[in-house]
Amino acid sequence: MATQIVMDRTGDTRHTFDVHDRAEVEKAERRFKELTGAGFTAAVRSGPGEQRVIRSFDPTAEETLFYPRLVGG
Amino acid sequence: MTQQIILALSSFILALLGTVLLSALSLVVARSGSCSKSFRFETEARALSLLKGWLSPKQRACYERFRYFDVIGSDTGTRYRIHHGTQTNIEELNCTGHHVCKWCFVPDGDLVAGDVMLAQKIALETNERGALAVAHRSFVSSGPRRF
Repeated sequence: MATQIVMDRTGDTRHTFDVHDRAEVEKAERRFKELTGAGFTAAVRSGPGEQRVIRSFDPTAEETLFYPRLVGG
Repeated sequence: MTQQIILALSSFILALLGTVLLSALSLVVARSGSCSKSFRFETEARALSLLKGWLSPKQRACYERFRYFDVIGSDTGTRYRIHHGTQTNIEELNCTGHHVCKWCFVPDGDLVAGDVMLAQKIALETNERGALAVAHRSFVSSGPRRF
Protein backbone atom coordinates (compact mmCIF):
# COMPACT_ATOMS: atom_id res chain seq x y z
CA MET A 1 0.00 0.00 0.00
CA ALA A 2 1.11 3.55 -0.72
CA THR A 3 -0.16 6.79 0.81
CA GLN A 4 -0.73 10.26 -0.50
CA ILE A 5 -0.80 12.81 2.32
CA VAL A 6 -2.41 16.13 1.55
CA MET A 7 -1.94 18.97 4.04
CA ASP A 8 -5.16 20.76 4.85
CA ARG A 9 -7.02 22.49 7.66
CA THR A 10 -7.58 19.18 9.46
CA GLY A 11 -3.81 18.61 9.59
CA ASP A 12 -3.81 16.29 6.62
CA THR A 13 -5.98 13.95 4.60
CA ARG A 14 -4.57 10.57 3.66
CA HIS A 15 -5.38 8.54 0.55
CA THR A 16 -4.04 5.01 0.49
CA PHE A 17 -3.91 2.89 -2.64
CA ASP A 18 -2.79 -0.57 -3.63
CA VAL A 19 0.20 -0.24 -5.95
CA HIS A 20 -0.79 -3.53 -7.60
CA ASP A 21 -4.30 -2.35 -8.43
CA ARG A 22 -4.25 -0.58 -11.78
CA ALA A 23 -7.48 1.35 -11.20
CA GLU A 24 -6.29 2.64 -7.83
CA VAL A 25 -2.93 3.65 -9.23
CA GLU A 26 -4.66 5.56 -12.04
CA LYS A 27 -6.85 7.31 -9.51
CA ALA A 28 -3.77 8.22 -7.43
CA GLU A 29 -2.06 9.56 -10.55
CA ARG A 30 -5.11 11.70 -11.35
CA ARG A 31 -5.04 13.04 -7.80
CA PHE A 32 -1.33 13.81 -8.17
CA LYS A 33 -1.95 15.77 -11.37
CA GLU A 34 -4.91 17.65 -9.90
CA LEU A 35 -2.99 18.67 -6.79
CA THR A 36 0.23 19.68 -8.51
CA GLY A 37 -1.85 21.47 -11.15
CA ALA A 38 -3.49 23.43 -8.35
CA GLY A 39 -0.10 24.56 -7.06
CA PHE A 40 0.67 21.88 -4.49
CA THR A 41 4.26 20.66 -4.17
CA ALA A 42 4.77 16.90 -3.98
CA ALA A 43 7.66 15.48 -1.96
CA VAL A 44 8.83 11.99 -1.14
CA ARG A 45 11.23 10.86 1.54
CA SER A 46 14.64 9.85 0.30
CA GLY A 47 16.25 9.07 3.65
CA PRO A 48 15.92 9.91 7.35
CA GLY A 49 15.07 13.61 7.42
CA GLU A 50 15.76 13.90 3.69
CA GLN A 51 13.31 14.40 0.89
CA ARG A 52 13.08 15.24 -2.76
CA VAL A 53 10.45 17.12 -4.69
CA ILE A 54 8.86 15.17 -7.53
CA ARG A 55 7.27 16.69 -10.62
CA SER A 56 5.67 13.53 -11.96
CA PHE A 57 3.72 10.74 -10.29
CA ASP A 58 5.87 8.03 -8.74
CA PRO A 59 3.77 4.89 -8.16
CA THR A 60 6.62 3.25 -6.26
CA ALA A 61 6.79 5.98 -3.60
CA GLU A 62 5.56 4.62 -0.30
CA GLU A 63 4.53 8.05 0.91
CA THR A 64 3.99 11.24 -1.06
CA LEU A 65 3.37 14.49 0.78
CA PHE A 66 1.57 17.43 -0.80
CA TYR A 67 1.72 20.94 0.60
CA PRO A 68 -0.02 24.02 -0.79
CA ARG A 69 1.66 26.79 -2.78
CA LEU A 70 3.99 28.95 -0.68
CA VAL A 71 3.15 32.58 -0.07
CA GLY A 72 4.91 35.37 1.77
CA GLY A 73 3.67 35.53 5.34
CA MET B 1 -57.53 45.11 37.85
CA THR B 2 -57.80 41.91 35.80
CA GLN B 3 -55.98 43.62 32.96
CA GLN B 4 -53.10 44.55 35.30
CA ILE B 5 -52.82 40.96 36.52
CA ILE B 6 -52.79 39.66 32.95
CA LEU B 7 -50.16 42.25 32.00
CA ALA B 8 -47.97 41.33 34.98
CA LEU B 9 -48.33 37.62 34.25
CA SER B 10 -47.45 38.15 30.57
CA SER B 11 -44.36 40.16 31.51
CA PHE B 12 -43.29 37.44 33.93
CA ILE B 13 -43.76 34.70 31.34
CA LEU B 14 -41.87 36.69 28.71
CA ALA B 15 -38.98 37.33 31.12
CA LEU B 16 -38.89 33.64 32.01
CA LEU B 17 -38.86 32.62 28.36
CA GLY B 18 -36.08 35.09 27.64
CA THR B 19 -33.96 33.70 30.47
CA VAL B 20 -34.49 30.11 29.30
CA LEU B 21 -33.60 31.04 25.72
CA LEU B 22 -30.48 32.91 26.79
CA SER B 23 -29.33 29.98 28.92
CA ALA B 24 -29.87 27.56 26.04
CA LEU B 25 -27.97 29.86 23.69
CA SER B 26 -24.98 30.20 26.00
CA LEU B 27 -24.93 26.41 26.45
CA VAL B 28 -24.79 25.91 22.67
CA VAL B 29 -22.03 28.52 22.29
CA ALA B 30 -19.98 26.96 25.10
CA ARG B 31 -20.34 23.48 23.57
CA SER B 32 -19.36 24.65 20.10
CA GLY B 33 -16.32 26.46 21.53
CA SER B 34 -15.22 23.33 23.34
CA CYS B 35 -15.67 21.23 20.16
CA SER B 36 -13.67 23.71 18.13
CA LYS B 37 -10.92 23.72 20.77
CA SER B 38 -10.79 19.94 20.74
CA PHE B 39 -10.73 19.87 16.91
CA ARG B 40 -7.84 22.37 16.87
CA PHE B 41 -5.94 20.30 19.43
CA GLU B 42 -6.36 17.12 17.36
CA THR B 43 -5.29 18.95 14.20
CA GLU B 44 -2.18 20.32 15.90
CA ALA B 45 -1.31 16.86 17.21
CA ARG B 46 -1.72 15.24 13.77
CA ALA B 47 0.44 17.86 12.12
CA LEU B 48 3.18 17.61 14.75
CA SER B 49 3.21 13.84 14.41
CA LEU B 50 3.61 14.21 10.63
CA LEU B 51 6.38 16.78 11.07
CA LYS B 52 8.34 14.58 13.47
CA GLY B 53 8.12 11.70 11.03
CA TRP B 54 9.86 13.79 8.37
CA LEU B 55 12.56 15.33 10.58
CA SER B 56 16.03 13.82 10.82
CA PRO B 57 16.83 12.30 14.23
CA LYS B 58 18.98 15.35 15.03
CA GLN B 59 16.29 17.83 13.99
CA ARG B 60 13.68 15.90 15.90
CA ALA B 61 15.74 15.80 19.10
CA CYS B 62 16.42 19.53 18.79
CA TYR B 63 12.76 20.33 18.19
CA GLU B 64 11.61 18.24 21.13
CA ARG B 65 14.06 20.01 23.42
CA PHE B 66 13.98 23.60 22.19
CA ARG B 67 10.89 23.83 19.92
CA TYR B 68 13.07 24.69 16.94
CA PHE B 69 15.28 22.83 14.47
CA ASP B 70 17.89 23.85 11.90
CA VAL B 71 17.90 23.24 8.19
CA ILE B 72 20.53 23.90 5.53
CA GLY B 73 19.45 25.79 2.44
CA SER B 74 19.73 23.70 -0.72
CA ASP B 75 21.24 26.45 -2.88
CA THR B 76 23.53 28.50 -0.63
CA GLY B 77 24.27 26.18 2.30
CA THR B 78 22.93 28.86 4.65
CA ARG B 79 21.66 27.68 8.01
CA TYR B 80 18.08 28.53 8.96
CA ARG B 81 16.40 27.96 12.27
CA ILE B 82 12.73 27.06 12.07
CA HIS B 83 10.99 27.95 15.32
CA HIS B 84 7.65 26.49 16.34
CA GLY B 85 5.01 28.79 14.88
CA THR B 86 3.30 29.93 11.74
CA GLN B 87 4.52 33.48 11.19
CA THR B 88 7.98 35.02 10.82
CA ASN B 89 9.31 31.90 12.50
CA ILE B 90 12.37 31.33 10.30
CA GLU B 91 15.64 32.79 11.41
CA GLU B 92 18.67 33.02 9.13
CA LEU B 93 21.94 32.43 10.93
CA ASN B 94 25.46 33.29 9.84
CA CYS B 95 28.41 30.93 10.02
CA THR B 96 29.06 31.88 13.64
CA GLY B 97 25.48 31.20 14.63
CA HIS B 98 24.46 34.84 14.91
CA HIS B 99 21.04 36.09 13.91
CA VAL B 100 21.04 37.69 10.47
CA CYS B 101 17.36 38.25 9.73
CA LYS B 102 13.96 36.61 9.80
CA TRP B 103 12.03 35.16 6.90
CA CYS B 104 8.35 34.54 6.55
CA PHE B 105 6.71 32.27 4.02
CA VAL B 106 3.94 29.77 4.61
CA PRO B 107 1.90 27.27 2.65
CA ASP B 108 -1.32 28.88 1.48
CA GLY B 109 -4.40 28.15 3.60
CA ASP B 110 -5.04 28.15 7.29
CA LEU B 111 -2.61 25.39 8.28
CA VAL B 112 -1.41 24.63 11.78
CA ALA B 113 2.17 25.00 13.02
CA GLY B 114 3.32 21.42 12.38
CA ASP B 115 2.26 21.55 8.73
CA VAL B 116 3.69 25.03 8.22
CA MET B 117 7.07 24.05 9.68
CA LEU B 118 7.23 20.87 7.58
CA ALA B 119 6.48 22.76 4.36
CA GLN B 120 9.14 25.34 5.32
CA LYS B 121 11.71 22.60 5.99
CA ILE B 122 11.08 20.84 2.67
CA ALA B 123 11.07 24.11 0.74
CA LEU B 124 14.37 25.35 2.21
CA GLU B 125 16.07 21.96 1.86
CA THR B 126 14.97 21.37 -1.72
CA ASN B 127 14.31 24.78 -3.29
CA GLU B 128 15.79 27.49 -1.10
CA ARG B 129 15.80 30.20 -3.76
CA GLY B 130 12.22 29.48 -4.79
CA ALA B 131 11.05 29.65 -1.18
CA LEU B 132 12.89 32.88 -0.41
CA ALA B 133 11.63 34.45 -3.63
CA VAL B 134 8.11 34.56 -2.20
CA ALA B 135 9.17 35.21 1.40
CA HIS B 136 9.10 38.43 3.36
CA ARG B 137 12.37 39.38 5.02
CA SER B 138 12.53 41.19 8.32
CA PHE B 139 15.55 42.68 10.04
CA VAL B 140 13.73 43.36 13.28
CA SER B 141 15.45 41.46 16.05
CA SER B 142 14.83 41.17 19.75
CA GLY B 143 18.54 41.87 20.29
CA PRO B 144 21.84 40.13 19.65
CA ARG B 145 21.44 36.37 19.89
CA ARG B 146 23.94 33.58 19.60
CA PHE B 147 22.97 29.98 19.06
